[in-house]
Amino acid sequence: MIRRTRTLQLLLLTIVLLGFMFSGNAQSRSNDVAVVVNPAAPVSDLTLSQARRIFRGDQQYWNADLPIVLLVRNPPSRERDVILKQLYSMTEAEFKQYWIAKIFRAEATSGPKIVYSNSMAADLVKVIPGAIAFMAARDVDPGLKVVKIDGHLPGDPQYPLR
Amino acid sequence: MRSFLFAFSVVLFTTGAWAQSEKAPQQVSSADVQALLARIEKLEERVTELEAKQATIRTSAAFTTAQSNPESAPSAPVTQAQQPKPAPMTNMAEEMQGMHTVLARAGEEYPNLKIRGFGDIDFGANSARGVNSGFQLGQFVLHFASALSPKVSYFAEVSLTATPGVYNVDLERTIIRYDWNDLAKISFGRYHTPVNYWNTAFHHGAWLQTTIARPDMIVVGSRFIPVHFIGAQSEGSIPSGPLGAGYNLGIGNGRSLNIARAGDSGDVNNNRAWLGNFYLRPPALRHFQIGGSVYRDEITFPSTTLLTDGQNFREWIASGHLIWNGETPEFYAEFANVHHRSELTGRTLDSQGGYVQIAYRLPFDAKKWKPYYRYDYLQVPANEPTLPDFVNVRKSTLGMRYDISDFAAFKAEYRNGRGNPLPQRSNAFALQTAFTF
Repeated sequence: MIRRTRTLQLLLLTIVLLGFMFSGNAQSRSNDVAVVVNPAAPVSDLTLSQARRIFRGDQQYWNADLPIVLLVRNPPSRERDVILKQLYSMTEAEFKQYWIAKIFRAEATSGPKIVYSNSMAADLVKVIPGAIAFMAARDVDPGLKVVKIDGHLPGDPQYPLR
Repeated sequence: MRSFLFAFSVVLFTTGAWAQSEKAPQQVSSADVQALLARIEKLEERVTELEAKQATIRTSAAFTTAQSNPESAPSAPVTQAQQPKPAPMTNMAEEMQGMHTVLARAGEEYPNLKIRGFGDIDFGANSARGVNSGFQLGQFVLHFASALSPKVSYFAEVSLTATPGVYNVDLERTIIRYDWNDLAKISFGRYHTPVNYWNTAFHHGAWLQTTIARPDMIVVGSRFIPVHFIGAQSEGSIPSGPLGAGYNLGIGNGRSLNIARAGDSGDVNNNRAWLGNFYLRPPALRHFQIGGSVYRDEITFPSTTLLTDGQNFREWIASGHLIWNGETPEFYAEFANVHHRSELTGRTLDSQGGYVQIAYRLPFDAKKWKPYYRYDYLQVPANEPTLPDFVNVRKSTLGMRYDISDFAAFKAEYRNGRGNPLPQRSNAFALQTAFTF
């Protein structure tokens, strides 16, 4: 009897732990940050290195006829925090200084365009050829093109932007 | 070479004309943008409010239906007729989308001139005899950047420097650039010569650099390496995957009769200077850069200057840099060899210069503080005719930077050593506040 009770307790504990693990995974997947582009952009898959080069302004063209237009959320926002950490590897202050220095070196005429909400990012990506932005994966409209990062879409366990 | 330049010109002017022929988008003022943003914010709040109300209505309708007919509750919560009209929300969503579109055009008007300023105010004291201590206005610099079309841009930099008796106004940079694509960005104008990392990264932005003073190899009015370059350049990235390779290739006038100056008004010896710069900046190592440059020119001195080796010298400069431009730590190391050969006697002379700088942003509550150290080295042969009276440099600099805000900093520095222009060893103390606006 005692043995059966212990087995049941162990089983219950295992279920609870598994529940925590899966809910944690589901939570982290729902927090994924999607990279979206205008449908005219000739890209559907980027490596993390390419995404870094694009968001840091080191790659400024999709092709000879299509400049990349960067859209970045205003602070504070969770999506911006994820991108600053994963793609820029910078603090908020370093991010500001980075773009001032980049313009000073004549490598760019301006920093990224600022968007104030995920819906604004979505609307602008739809109308600006060459636009690229990031937003919470749950806010992605059907009309947007979501880019794979290292072969993974938001929701995949290996997706790097979360 | 002429055909090469002609091709450059054709490309630039053709694309410039094409860019001008594009239909100019409707102008959007900053006041309009602010008004639209305020309106969007209100609309988004209203949408959230309506969505919440709609959810409440659905829930209560489902509850009412369930009460009147409990058996049908799970399958038919709300009929279409019972739902509130979606029209107001749809209209608002369309209005928001329209306003977002208008906002998108705000940054696309051409030309879209942006101005940024840099300034610094300094205090210096030196133990050497004959050197006065006191306050000094540093450089007041205005930097202009303007996109003229999606692929044509203009950059300029003007500096005002306090000198005894008069302010010296200088057009430091003026560059018009056509972006063919990421591989080739072709430009014409006056540049900071990309033969030295510091020269292009920080040159007139005291706030951008950690230290108060530049390395001795690239100080204001440097004769050791050419600070400015007038001509044409092609720059861009080289497809290299994770290596992040890039280049600069340039052709221009080279040094003037005063070798501290560039040939702004023309080439003094009808012999073009050229340069090549190659670097690796791997995206996976954000702060890392390694690279090297070569620079070739002919230096000509005025005929009134009597030099035993004649008036003309061939110049070869080879340089390299190793950079980690992070904060924890920051590391810069550069080295250059300047080779001169007399065209009259064939005598050759080599001079070397370089520096190593290391800094570290302190952690936690002390993160506004960044201590640093730099060692400067310059070695010029005693009988080098192109750099007369040059005093070799061996100098240590120990300092602390305190960032009072994201855009302003205080710096304090102690320097010990000898070198250009002071021949004797001395101790110096300097303070600076540097900012951007």
